[in-house]
Amino acid sequence: MTALLEARGVVKRFGGLTALDRVDITVGEGEMVGLIGPNGSGKTTLFDCLSRVSSVDAGSITFDGIDITRHRPHQVARLGMSRTFQVIRVYRDLTVSENMELSIQWEGLGVPGLFTKADPGTRRKVESLLEFLLLAPLANERAGVLSGGQRRLLEIGMALMSEPRLVLLDEATSGVNPTLVVEIADRLREVNRTAGVAFLLVEHNVRFVADLCQRVVVLDQGAKLAEGPPRRIMEDPAVVEAYFGAEGEGGK
Amino acid sequence: MGRGLSSRTLRGFVAGGRLGQVGWTASVAILVFLFLLPLLPSVTNSTLFTLTLMLTTVGVAVNWNLTGGFTGYVDFGHAVWFGIGAYTTAILVSLQSNGPQIGWSPIPAIGLGALVAGLLAALIGRATMRLKGPYFSIAMLGTFVAMREIVRVSGFTGGGVGLTLPPYLNRPLFYYIQLVLVAALVMFTWWLRRTRFGAALVAIREDEIGAEMRGIDTTSFKVSVFSFAGFSTGLFGGLWAYQNTFVDPDIAFVEVRTVDAVMSTMLGGLGTVAGPVVGAVVLYWLREVLWANLLDYHLLTQGALLIVIVLFIPRGLVGIFDRRGTSVNALWGRWLVRRADPGRKEDEP
Repeated sequence: MTALLEARGVVKRFGGLTALDRVDITVGEGEMVGLIGPNGSGKTTLFDCLSRVSSVDAGSITFDGIDITRHRPHQVARLGMSRTFQVIRVYRDLTVSENMELSIQWEGLGVPGLFTKADPGTRRKVESLLEFLLLAPLANERAGVLSGGQRRLLEIGMALMSEPRLVLLDEATSGVNPTLVVEIADRLREVNRTAGVAFLLVEHNVRFVADLCQRVVVLDQGAKLAEGPPRRIMEDPAVVEAYFGAEGEGGK
Repeated sequence: MGRGLSSRTLRGFVAGGRLGQVGWTASVAILVFLFLLPLLPSVTNSTLFTLTLMLTTVGVAVNWNLTGGFTGYVDFGHAVWFGIGAYTTAILVSLQSNGPQIGWSPIPAIGLGALVAGLLAALIGRATMRLKGPYFSIAMLGTFVAMREIVRVSGFTGGGVGLTLPPYLNRPLFYYIQLVLVAALVMFTWWLRRTRFGAALVAIREDEIGAEMRGIDTTSFKVSVFSFAGFSTGLFGGLWAYQNTFVDPDIAFVEVRTVDAVMSTMLGGLGTVAGPVVGAVVLYWLREVLWANLLDYHLLTQGALLIVIVLFIPRGLVGIFDRRGTSVNALWGRWLVRRADPGRKEDEP
C-alpha cells in the first residue's frame, strides 16, 4: 500500500519535557489507522505535528510524497489533509450550513470566488453531507445550540467538506451517546469505502478503533510502543500493561 | 406584521445579514435626509464642518471594525494610517520649488496618501499580525508612537513645526465627499460580511487555528483586510488634512482618534456592520451634550456611561435588536423561561 502520510523520527519537546520521542507513523491510501495510548502519551501532540498546528523539533513529515515539515496548516489542508479536534471547534455563532460552507477547498476559488456567497454546487454538497450525517433538519440552527454529539458530527462533516484524502479524527466519540457512536462508525466506514478517504483516529474507545481500523499504533510516554492489527495489539502484554493495565481493572 | 418584520430586518442589517425592505427604506431615507441637509437655511458652514468631522469618526470606526471587530485583532495604533494619509497629502500639496508652489492637486494627493497608508499597512501588518492578542495591540501602539516621532524629527515633514496646506475651504463639498465615502464604506462592509471572504474573517476571529485547518490562509486574509482598512483611514486622513489646512505630529497622530474608533465600535456593536456607525454618532452626540452641560465632569461622565454600556450591553447598542444580544435581554429571556418551566436547566437549548 502506498504511504499517503509518512512521519519519520518526529520529536517534540515542551521545555524539558519530551512529548514525542522519535515517533514513526504511516497511513496508506484509503487505510484506517487507530492511534491509542494512555492519557498524556502524546497522541494529540502527534496530531498537532502532523497537521502542522505545532512545529516539530526533529524528524520529517511527508504527505503524498511532499515534504510538509515546514508547511502551514492551511497548506496541509489544501493538499488534502483535514482534521477534527479533541475540544470541538465549530463556529457556535454561525449556522450548521454556514459552518460547512466555510470548510471548502479555498485554493480553487480564485479572487472572484472569495467575494461571492456559496455557489449552488457548494450548497448542494452541504445539503447532501448534512443528510448523510443526519444533521439536515438542523441546517439552519446555530451550531451553539447543538448537543455535543451533533457538534461532533458537524465537525466531522466540516472535515469531509473539502473532499480530503486523509482525515485525522481526534476522539470522535468523546462525549457522544452510544447510539450515535454506532452511527459515526457507520458513516466513517462508508466514506472510507465509497470515497477511499483514509482515516487516522485518536481514540479512547478501543472497541470503536478495533471495529474500524485495519492497523493500530500505540503510543506510551511519547514513544511508539507497538503497531499491528487490532487483535494482536490488544493481546500484546506491553500494551496491556501500559494502556489497559490501570483501566482494565475497572472492566473496560 | 410591522413590528416583527422591522425587528427582523434590523437584526439582519446590524448583524450583516439580509437587508430587508424596511432596512433599505430606512437607510435610503437617512441618506436622502443627509444629502438635503446642507440645503436647509439653518445649517451653517460650522455645522457642516462638525458633521464632516463626525463622518470622519464614523469612517475611521468602520475601518477599525474591519480588523478589530471582524478578525478580532484589536489595533491600538490605527490612527497611524490617518496620520500617514494626512501627512502624505500635506507634503504633496505643499511642495515648493525655489518659491513657487508646485504642489499636487487635491484628488491625486489624497489618493496617493491613501495608497501609501495602505501599502505601509500591508508591510507592517505582515509582521505584526503574526502576533496574537495583546502583543499585536501593543505592537501597533508602538508603531503609532514610532511613526509620530519619525515624522517629528524628519525634515521633509516639516518636523515638529508641521506643514501648512493651501486653503480650500468648501465645507459643503467636503461634507458631500465624506458622506458618499462613508455610505460606500458601510455598503462595502455589509457586502463583504456576506461573502466567503467576510465569513473567513469571522472564522479567524472565532478560532484562528480551526480556520487554518479549514484551508484558510489566515495571514493573507488578515493582512488584506488590515491593508484595506489602512488605505481607507488614510483617505479620511488626507481629506481631514485638506480641511484643517495644517498638520503637525500632535494633531495628525493623536491617540484619541484610535480611542474614539474603539469606543464607537464597542458602543455600537463590535463586529457588526451598523455598530461603528451608530456608536460613532451616539459618541459624538453624547460628547456634545456632556460638553455643554457638564464641562468639568464630561470625561468622567462619558467614561462612566461607557463602562455601564460595556457591562450591560456587551454586544453594543445594535445588539439590542439581536435576540441573543444584550445581557439585559438574556437575563430577561432566562427569567421568562424559568417562569414558564421552573424545572428547565440553564444551558438546555
